[in-house]
Amino acid sequence: MRHFKQMFSKKYLSFAGLQFSRGVKRKYPINPDHVNELPVFQYATSKQNYRRVFAWGNAQTGALGFKGLIDKDVMVLKCPKRLSFGEKFEVTNAAAGFGFSLFAVNSDTNVKLYGTGLNTDSQIGYHEIRKGFPLEVVFYPQPISLPIKDPTKTKIKKIAAGRAHSVVLTDEGVFTMGNNSYGQCGRKIIENEDYIRSNTIHHIQNINNKEIIDIECGQDHSLFITADGSVYSCGWGADGQTGLGHFKNSDCLSKINGDIENEKIVKISCRSDFVMALSEKGDVFGWGNTEYGQMSLPDDEQQLCHPTHIKMLQGHGKFKSVASAGSFCLAANENGEVFTWGYGLLGKNDFQPESKVVQVFCGLYHAAAVTNYGDLYIWGRNKSGCLGLGDEKDQSFPLKVCLAGHVKKVYCGIDHTIALCKPFI
Amino acid sequence: MTALQLTLAIIKPHVIKNPFSLEAIRNIIVSSNFKVVKSKRKHITPDEAEMFYEEHMHKFFYNRLITFMTSGPSDVYILAKENAIKDWRTLMGPTKVYKAQFEARESIRGKYGFTDTRNATHGSDSPETAKREIGIFFPEFDYEGWFKTEEPKFHHNLKLDKMNFVHVTDNR
Repeated sequence: MRHFKQMFSKKYLSFAGLQFSRGVKRKYPINPDHVNELPVFQYATSKQNYRRVFAWGNAQTGALGFKGLIDKDVMVLKCPKRLSFGEKFEVTNAAAGFGFSLFAVNSDTNVKLYGTGLNTDSQIGYHEIRKGFPLEVVFYPQPISLPIKDPTKTKIKKIAAGRAHSVVLTDEGVFTMGNNSYGQCGRKIIENEDYIRSNTIHHIQNINNKEIIDIECGQDHSLFITADGSVYSCGWGADGQTGLGHFKNSDCLSKINGDIENEKIVKISCRSDFVMALSEKGDVFGWGNTEYGQMSLPDDEQQLCHPTHIKMLQGHGKFKSVASAGSFCLAANENGEVFTWGYGLLGKNDFQPESKVVQVFCGLYHAAAVTNYGDLYIWGRNKSGCLGLGDEKDQSFPLKVCLAGHVKKVYCGIDHTIALCKPFI
Repeated sequence: MTALQLTLAIIKPHVIKNPFSLEAIRNIIVSSNFKVVKSKRKHITPDEAEMFYEEHMHKFFYNRLITFMTSGPSDVYILAKENAIKDWRTLMGPTKVYKAQFEARESIRGKYGFTDTRNATHGSDSPETAKREIGIFFPEFDYEGWFKTEEPKFHHNLKLDKMNFVHVTDNR
């Protein structure tokens, strides 16, 4: 408060007067040293861990988590809107499933996870207003209690969401919930299971005593990276997306071999049925559905169940980030060059020369790139306004999304998008 | 009066998991002047799916199609309209959803399909297949008999039973 008082004191006013009316005779002579005594006004900076949460796209399913939209009959949000949930809680992670979203928050209790949107398979936990009547849809983030043994120490490290199942990575291992009709939750398939009522949260502590360090969900399968860089999978394998050398469903976690057998994998991306894996050396591997030229295979085969090195990327530098959409792929190398291939609006265009792409993300039909400046560029199919550009027109080259913050992470669903941003100051 | 035609429509498992999409597709069916003759929610068994898709037996996507169709409950409808088969297929749009995103974005598959397999709906492609497909999911349904006795009633005085999503003849 001190500087405010001073600002309105007579001394200050007379000092200010000097600047604009030279030569006027002053009642109080000015002491130039006084300037140094004036306090420097500084804006309060935001907390290191604070993230603003923005969401946009299809609002009908409740996946955006805005309380007021449903009453107003808003079907789509065409521009990013700040989620008040992110102001009440310290959101550390999020995930965009198909018609639902998950948020991880910093907390000392068992409730570290919140879900909103479609819940027909209890993919965002069990919620009811009347006993025995579980809610199929939730319109704003609701708490999901995980069976965590040590809530004060354990944190959620990552969340991934598929078509109707969710995978949560914590310090105590992985928790899966939701639809398990293909074994995507990594537990035994029960015939005719009523997923909305069974509400099973399955716990996978580790795989063969190896810690799980990263997770990813396709639409109906799940992928896990362990500390040694091996990849494990479970779920739907009809396109070979589990990479296990067969096309069957798999309801327990099995190790993926093929070309990645002796590689240390650091990142996996999959939004639908084609999987991309990035090794520590910067090589990119792929498997699953390749009907849209994600990989060219001999004999025009369209399904690949063995992980295979994507040779056409060789000679383009070390890759740093990969993203696999429904029918196209993205890969960014260490020079910030982005490569896209497949089918769809691939966004061919040069970015500003001085900016570098550091991360790429994608939904099923749209793609996003984040630069070293923290800007979000987006392009592709604008389903339900999910590009956040203010309209519902498709965007064939990257355009910057207007967001009040440095973009840290982006989560893309089919028809909605979530961004975690650090305030500018 | 032009005679009505019957077709078999399936609303696939992933749509049933999204009440908003299901509602929207049902609205499209009714507002496009289709009459719902029979309607049932059922979990398709592997045997039924194999019989249903036997023409695709040797295609690469056969296993994928069967495992998808048996992964959860579907809605199966017998729809009636003049030119039901052609009209329903037009409403559905192209089989491949990734293409439909750009070629027919307002079609059912363009809007509510996810991927080429999870493509929202099925529709018979000819009167012969319609008869065969109806026989698989509605074995009790008398296909020939319906045209003799029921068909004339379906031209007027119909009411939609919203609960069961079926049109009933109003005999008052």
